[in-house]
Amino acid sequence: MNSLWQRNIIRGIFILALQLLLLKRIDITFGDFNYIHFTVYSIIIVLLPYQMSRTGLVLIGFCLGLIVDIFYDSLGVHAAATTFISYARFYVLNLIAPTEGYSKGGLTAYNYGLPWFLTFLSIMVLMHLVTLYSIEAFSFVYLKEIILRSVFSFIASWSFITIGILIFNPKY
Amino acid sequence: MRNIISLFIRYSAFIVFLFLECFSFYLIINYNKSQKEIWANSSNRFTGGVNSYMQGIEDFFALQNRNDSLLIENAKLLETIINYRINSKDNSFQAFEESDSTSTYDLIPTRICSKTINLRNNFMTLCKGRKDSIRVGMGVLTENGIAGIVSQVSEDFSTVLMILNSESRTSVKIKNKNYFGNLLWRQSNPRIMTLTDVPKHAEIIKGDSVVTSGFSISYPQDIYIGSITDYTIQDGGNSYNIDVELATDLSQSDYVYVVSYKHADQKKQLIETDE
Repeated sequence: MNSLWQRNIIRGIFILALQLLLLKRIDITFGDFNYIHFTVYSIIIVLLPYQMSRTGLVLIGFCLGLIVDIFYDSLGVHAAATTFISYARFYVLNLIAPTEGYSKGGLTAYNYGLPWFLTFLSIMVLMHLVTLYSIEAFSFVYLKEIILRSVFSFIASWSFITIGILIFNPKY
Repeated sequence: MRNIISLFIRYSAFIVFLFLECFSFYLIINYNKSQKEIWANSSNRFTGGVNSYMQGIEDFFALQNRNDSLLIENAKLLETIINYRINSKDNSFQAFEESDSTSTYDLIPTRICSKTINLRNNFMTLCKGRKDSIRVGMGVLTENGIAGIVSQVSEDFSTVLMILNSESRTSVKIKNKNYFGNLLWRQSNPRIMTLTDVPKHAEIIKGDSVVTSGFSISYPQDIYIGSITDYTIQDGGNSYNIDVELATDLSQSDYVYVVSYKHADQKKQLIETDE
């Protein structure tokens, strides 16, 4: 159990550093087209152990979002989005539960197979990005921008995470 | 009791989730400029609509009282005019009445959609806006006194910075003595205001009337505001601190008049180039 926590914490710090120090600075703009943002830190919540209490998960999600907010200068925006997906994770997992249940440990591609994991990942990341950009725009007047930003950022972030998962293929 | 606790435990995740989301939104609205503006704008639009609807219902039940007070006001005006007409020499008043071109001030009557009285900074929303030619900077009168200055105007509504606001400063004078000062609101009592900057050598007595000075573009000259109830001189200060009791009870008024001054632009331009 201890090593499980250590792994999660170290992974969390590594991904946060990657997000805040490197990916935050990547700015892909073609004229008016600036809808691509790499927002990958939601993978921390995705990979947290299944046995975790839902309350704890929500609290961790909020803290994670707050840390990101401090670096992004957008106090509350990321926190609201991450709190939402960490609360929703339980329901997503119920929705796509594999037939044998969640008994094999960490929620990874190594344990449950790549197709299952990619479904899980896609739902979580898409949910995160849509809530994030909706809250950032804060008004459905900007519906077109929210959709464009979510879709293109989703493609970029999702590919980035998938490549990472394929390279490291974590067991926990 | 045990049931309630177990309920809390079972739904603790949801409760924590709700609480944290609310907290995040609180942070978003308070610390992000663009979101804050959107929030303020849309909530204004919403509350403006709801308020005017509620006011409509309230109005229906208050019609009788309104009629009475309007009748009294009308009677008073009529009385003034009749007396003035009788007493005016050389028919000058009749001549004034007949010539129509002299009106420099127009009054726009409007309903109050919502207002606050007991905050430190009070605002009032009027149910008329730019459509009814209300502009920023116009003064707002009640039937016997002043209420504030229009600070924001939208298409259908306008916001009034009331005199009961810590940011409000009104240029006034003491009637018949021509000492000028600024009227501020420092107390928490909505009937009492503070008149400052009246020089120490001025001779004032309790009961003196305070009227608008007419220096600003917002209010016409000599509108009665209230009377002096008390005054002190600050230690080492050069001016009085005078308590003025307002003639109008702003918490009671439902209708106000917005003053549209014909030469406002000219005067404003002059004042601005002067500075």
